[in-house]
Amino acid sequence: MTGLLNIVADPATFATVLRVMTPLLIAALGILISDRAGVFNLGMEGMMLTGALVGVLVSAWTGSAWLGLLAAVVAGGLMGALMAFAVNTLGANLIITGIAMNLAASSGTTLGLFFATGDKGMSGALKSGVMPSIDLPFVGDIPVIGPFLSGHNVLTYGALLAVPLVSLMMARTAFGLRIRAVGVDPKAAATVGISVKLIQLKALILSGVLGGMAGAYLSMGYVSWFAQDMTAGRGFIAIAIEVMGMGTAWGTLAATIVIAIAETLAITMQTLGLPNELMQMIPYVVPIVVLTIWTARGRAKRVALK
Amino acid sequence: MNRAFLANLVRLAITLAVIGTVILAVLLPFALPHDHPGTVIAAFLLGPLSSLRHLGNVAEYATPIAFTGLAATVVFRSGLFNLGIESGVFLGGLAATTAALLLPSFGPFTPLVAIVFGAVVGSISCIIPGELRLRWEAPEMVTSLVLNFAILYAGVFFLNYYLRDPAAGSLMSYRIPADAKLDRLLAGTRLNSGAIVALVACLAGGVWLYFTRSGLNLRIVGQGPVFASHLGLSSRRIVMQAQIVGGMIAGMAGAIQVLGLYPRFSWTQLPGLGWTGIIIAILARENPFYVVPAALFLGYLQVGGDFLARDIGIPSEVVGLITAAIMLAVTATAIFQHPAVLRLIRRIRRVEAAR
Repeated sequence: MTGLLNIVADPATFATVLRVMTPLLIAALGILISDRAGVFNLGMEGMMLTGALVGVLVSAWTGSAWLGLLAAVVAGGLMGALMAFAVNTLGANLIITGIAMNLAASSGTTLGLFFATGDKGMSGALKSGVMPSIDLPFVGDIPVIGPFLSGHNVLTYGALLAVPLVSLMMARTAFGLRIRAVGVDPKAAATVGISVKLIQLKALILSGVLGGMAGAYLSMGYVSWFAQDMTAGRGFIAIAIEVMGMGTAWGTLAATIVIAIAETLAITMQTLGLPNELMQMIPYVVPIVVLTIWTARGRAKRVALK
Repeated sequence: MNRAFLANLVRLAITLAVIGTVILAVLLPFALPHDHPGTVIAAFLLGPLSSLRHLGNVAEYATPIAFTGLAATVVFRSGLFNLGIESGVFLGGLAATTAALLLPSFGPFTPLVAIVFGAVVGSISCIIPGELRLRWEAPEMVTSLVLNFAILYAGVFFLNYYLRDPAAGSLMSYRIPADAKLDRLLAGTRLNSGAIVALVACLAGGVWLYFTRSGLNLRIVGQGPVFASHLGLSSRRIVMQAQIVGGMIAGMAGAIQVLGLYPRFSWTQLPGLGWTGIIIAILARENPFYVVPAALFLGYLQVGGDFLARDIGIPSEVVGLITAAIMLAVTATAIFQHPAVLRLIRRIRRVEAAR
């Protein structure tokens, strides 16, 4: 038991939670924006994967991690635009478009890696960049809590900062209001002069930008290389997180923390000798249980109101 | 000639034209830097048709995805977007291996027992999200999406602790006994008797959906639950039936894939056959009769991709790009519900009606 207590009180455990959290939070916020605009982004997994590869390749070519991040963000945004084009101009089904995005990204990144390096599995031979960690001035010197708060990846701080920003954007800006209007009732939004297609295009580009950023963190922060299908379902967990968060930025943050703690627990419990496959199940079982309880409670309330 | 048939022929012709265009459009950027772009495209398009053995490879690829395509069709027809078929395939393969290894031999019926066992266990993956949806309104798309991974890790745990052959180099089961394996049909390929089962299953699925009362009930419930309840149909039971049947077909896909192709069970990732099944269901417009040609078509693309990889040196992943583009193109209402197309179809019908 003291072993477990030591793990919980260790700044390293806290750092692991933040590391696990970062890509999930960024991706889930991206899904949130698309969801609220009525164009649920099931292609998030593919956008993350694309961002991860583009970040590694561009940072290796230019020698700059920041340019890699920029390229990853642009690539994600382009995929968002492509998705908007497929849904709103071609008239393809939204969910099918998302599945197609994931398939195209999974094959496309393998091809891209092959043509860039001659290897289909890993980018280990490339000297790609890593996003820097930041030691906060003053904050890092605070006794006890200082080591917990300082020294994390710049994208981790970015992800945490994105929560109030997305929340403010959705609640307090004209753009956020239009997104919500389009998501609730596109026809009503159109009658007051909002261009539904344009708002959905912008929302999906923004969603893709965040997806590219989440992917860049995976290959240039979480680890320092790209591997085939390295997102490993994180885009899908992000979907579950967004649904658990009930479409609000702060709810998404709370859900991300729950999942990240579950995953950290899984990682640390493996070191205590428990079968690691069963521990790996935890972050996937938690959203199913939470979602079921919440929807069941919601239904019970509606029944009680009748 | 039947006018509905003729109108369908118009749609089919457009579909084929769209698919052909998409294949060329995706392939050209890869072919053009090559010295002889023509040979690249020829290898991809004609390679799979070049010999009986390669046609056998096409059918071999088509077998599991015909099953998953049928499974996706049945599940989607119920109106639920249940993605559990992906892990249903995994679970079916694992359960069939378990039955083959741990149960005594049943002589010539050993494969049958293993497949049934695989189908029953595989259906769990679709039943859980379906039940959570019907009982508590939990969104089935999201729960099935994450459940796939939960089932994967539970399965890998089972493989590691109960079926693992310590003598094998990596994580894989003991050798599947010979009497549990399916018969091979064509020398030089892994085409097996599962292909016949797949064909029969798809035809039976079509007959069920279009020519029986319970099939009609399913189509009604899937298209309009409110209308179905006015008719006095028990939506809940009918939807659940579809999840069970769809999950069982997915489990069969995994069981037949493992018993027909592999010496041991060695999946430690989701095999992806369920996602391909969704693509097939879309290509086949959720019609079981069209699942077989759709599966053969994707098998043909896959063998074409193998030719590209072997003869030209372009990774076969290019097939994934082509498939993704086809998915978008064939569901594009901008093409299939274009006013000109609709006018053409209407005119054909009027001509026929006037006769």
